[in-house]
Amino acid sequence: MDHIVVSNLTKKFIKKGKRRFLTREKEEILALDHISLRVKKGELFGLLGPNGAGKTTLVKCLATLLIPDEGTAVIDGYDIIEDPISVRKILGITTGGERTLYWKLSARDNLKYFASLYGLSSKEAEERIDYLLNIMDLKEKQHQRLEKYSTGMRQKVSIARAILHDPKIILLDEPTLGLDPSFSMFLRSFIKNELNRKEGKTILLTTHYMEEADQLCDRIAFVNKGKLIVVDTSKNLKRSVSKNEVLEIKCVGNVENLVGFNAYMENKRDYTKVKILHENTEEIMDDVLKIIKEKAKILSVNVKRPTLEDVFIHLTGSELRDDYE
Amino acid sequence: MKMNLRHYLRAINAENIKEWKIELTYRVDFIRGLFEPLFYVLPAILYGMAIVGGRYSENLEKLTGTGNLITYTVIGYVFMGFLETAVWGMGFALRKEQWYGTIEQVFAAPVPRWVYVMGMALHSTMHQGLIIIMQSVVIYFIFGLVLDISGILPSLLIIGIMMISLYGLGILLSSLVLIFKEGWIISEILYSFMIIVTPIAYPLAVLPSILQKISMYMPTTYGISTIRHFLIGESLGFSVFDAVLRLLAIGVLWVIFGLFIFNIVDRRVRNKGELGTY
Repeated sequence: MDHIVVSNLTKKFIKKGKRRFLTREKEEILALDHISLRVKKGELFGLLGPNGAGKTTLVKCLATLLIPDEGTAVIDGYDIIEDPISVRKILGITTGGERTLYWKLSARDNLKYFASLYGLSSKEAEERIDYLLNIMDLKEKQHQRLEKYSTGMRQKVSIARAILHDPKIILLDEPTLGLDPSFSMFLRSFIKNELNRKEGKTILLTTHYMEEADQLCDRIAFVNKGKLIVVDTSKNLKRSVSKNEVLEIKCVGNVENLVGFNAYMENKRDYTKVKILHENTEEIMDDVLKIIKEKAKILSVNVKRPTLEDVFIHLTGSELRDDYE
Repeated sequence: MKMNLRHYLRAINAENIKEWKIELTYRVDFIRGLFEPLFYVLPAILYGMAIVGGRYSENLEKLTGTGNLITYTVIGYVFMGFLETAVWGMGFALRKEQWYGTIEQVFAAPVPRWVYVMGMALHSTMHQGLIIIMQSVVIYFIFGLVLDISGILPSLLIIGIMMISLYGLGILLSSLVLIFKEGWIISEILYSFMIIVTPIAYPLAVLPSILQKISMYMPTTYGISTIRHFLIGESLGFSVFDAVLRLLAIGVLWVIFGLFIFNIVDRRVRNKGELGTY
């Protein structure tokens, strides 16, 4: 059974540009380009894509915070356009950004306030808040204002808020963005083991961390420039390029002359990373190195098994994130 | 999970409690806010006393039927506070959520939008009530207020009826600030205009006839005049029954209009993706 059915969802934004006398330049940005996908009940589904790919726009449409221009989505039988209130009842959501909670209130007061918005009685709210503060290891600091919390602790409260009303479906928009490794590890484990496996929640998670999607998600959708590129399991996605190897060369200098090798280049601060996906890297290695040496200095050469990131690059020609290394 | 009226009322109260808790974290500002209105009313009283040479004005009595300048002015300024509740307290309810960064999370909850605004209205009204008590006590001890005690209850009823229209105005303004980045300008213009055409510190008779006619469409005109009638015996140009009917009619119209505009604005900001934009 499908819990989320997205059909042909399209969303455009108008970006205002420079003002010219009485008129203003306008640029149309296609944030979602006819996206269709299905998320099964109890599935942990990942939307993987770089910043600006359209992941958050899709989440906001599903959460009824944005009205799509075309298409619609049905969440557990409720249409996001026709019946937004019913959709909101069964959804839990964390949107990106740190300031999505009241920093002047304590964790407990924040949760109590949102419990009232979601229709929990005082007794239900107290019990649920106690449970969530315990499980998130926040009980000791529950009465402290959030302005004194770390980013990771605030994100824990944010996730507790999303599941406060025990929703069937949870939308998590970049849940570990900007968190230190220990908090990220805790939240990933909580999402996978507690919410998905134990409680059987359907989860749609957006991320631009390849390893997060790989580690957590049953299926992954690649999204780039508002388009859905592919949907499959991490295993199958990697299998699609399994016959290949990745030749990875770090160098300093001009490597623009590698045209013809289907090379992907990432410009880092101190060097350029060249990646070439090929069935037999040994076959092409000498030629590639020779060409690079003409105008650049080679720092290192590696041959690796392809990762999900390489699959993404192979399919989209874009990298997932600019802070990858 | 069922959402019914009881839950909406609980959500309204939760919004009110949340606002109190946030407000009380800024204690010095809170105390300053309690005394601030005094600094608006005192110059008006002192100026009036200097002009007429005491607290009694023969001309004011001729125009309104009551000559006590201080009580007349204080009631007017107390009343202005309720207008502030609607224009600034409610009008900026959602802007505040944008500023906190919480508006999307709040709007993702299964509660109609008016619930948040009503929560903010409850908070603002309670806040204003506190200011009124403060103001009245201080002025009573400095100048003395001569009121007809039996008029307090009917006055409260009139305030209650008048608040319906002010809530309608608040709902309207709270949505407009979501579209207009400088929404305070709209509030400021409306507030200033309503202060001019409402008999706060002077009787309507001193206004040009066109403004007098406009003032007859303002709920505040009926509210303030009727309350003065009950408390200090101001003579009315209309009956109390007429005032109540007009207040109710204007109130219903303003609430319907406010909700209508609110829904249009809500759709617009969700269409344009401007909900969380501050």
